[in-house]
Amino acid sequence: MSNNKVSRRQFLSYTLTGVGGFMAAGMLMPMVRFAVDPVLQKKEGGDFVLTEKKIADITEVPERVDFTFEQVDAWYKSDITNSAWVYKEGDEIIALSPVCKHLGCTVNWEADPAHKNQFFCPCHAGRYEKNGKNVPKTPPLGPLDQYEVRENDGFLEIGKAIPNTLV
Amino acid sequence: MHWNGKDSTVYQAQKEFIDTAVIPLIQIDGSDEGFQFAASAADFTLSLANVIENQFKGRIVLFPSFSYTKSQDKQLVFKDWQEELNKASFKHIFYVTSDREWSTMGEEQNIIWIPSVPLDSMDQKMRNSVLEDQLRQLIPIFAKKWAN
Ligand code: FES
Repeated sequence: MSNNKVSRRQFLSYTLTGVGGFMAAGMLMPMVRFAVDPVLQKKEGGDFVLTEKKIADITEVPERVDFTFEQVDAWYKSDITNSAWVYKEGDEIIALSPVCKHLGCTVNWEADPAHKNQFFCPCHAGRYEKNGKNVPKTPPLGPLDQYEVRENDGFLEIGKAIPNTLV
Repeated sequence: MHWNGKDSTVYQAQKEFIDTAVIPLIQIDGSDEGFQFAASAADFTLSLANVIENQFKGRIVLFPSFSYTKSQDKQLVFKDWQEELNKASFKHIFYVTSDREWSTMGEEQNIIWIPSVPLDSMDQKMRNSVLEDQLRQLIPIFAKKWAN
């Protein structure tokens, strides 16, 4: 019996070693980041990714535009391809994120024949209006995110995702 | 979802919506004739599984691939997977493979057989568009299986 018991001294030394380890890790992590970060930092304006889409070719019908950027994850570099639904509203160019606000599937334009003029999520039949507004009584609880956009020499550049400004 | 710690917490909380397991089936072939083809087919199947995950992230859990050799008993393997995954109460279990042998096991087993496209010599852009094409054809297949 008694040899199963952990003495007060043992208990303290176990827990303190554990906590100490965490603390050391906690101190080390920011230091490593601090040391590594400047090398990995993006150049000014590097937040926008050039696409192959000509501004002049964008119409009122949402069209899928892919854009690829390099992501550095710790020591691992990889090319990530994202896409956006892009259309023209008057003179303005709108780029919406295809990521469903329910559980993250990819939505498609007019993918459900029963609901023209809407985005459709095949996972649980979530729907969004053209401006990204979620249709009530379908699973998504918020509108699709929007991307920052700008023009570069006639081509579309896509920036970071921001909360939807249209709804 | 992927089969990892973070996504499985979401899975546990949203089981009602995430009701499908997807398992890539990969044949390992060590023979001189088969080595390269099998490797290339594996690359294709895994890449496709990833785009499937991306499309249906909120409804599926993509499991690590199951790799097997030609001589392994497919029926047995199949039964094991089925039993284990039933414990996790998935409503649907889909297997994705480019190995034709599985396709003879019948429709009702939910085996999605896609002949492999050699991606080896393609650049990233080409690869993506080939995979996107394949995915577009798969969406209705998934939708149909989910519907019944
Ligand atoms: S993930 Fe889109 S409706 Fe559930």
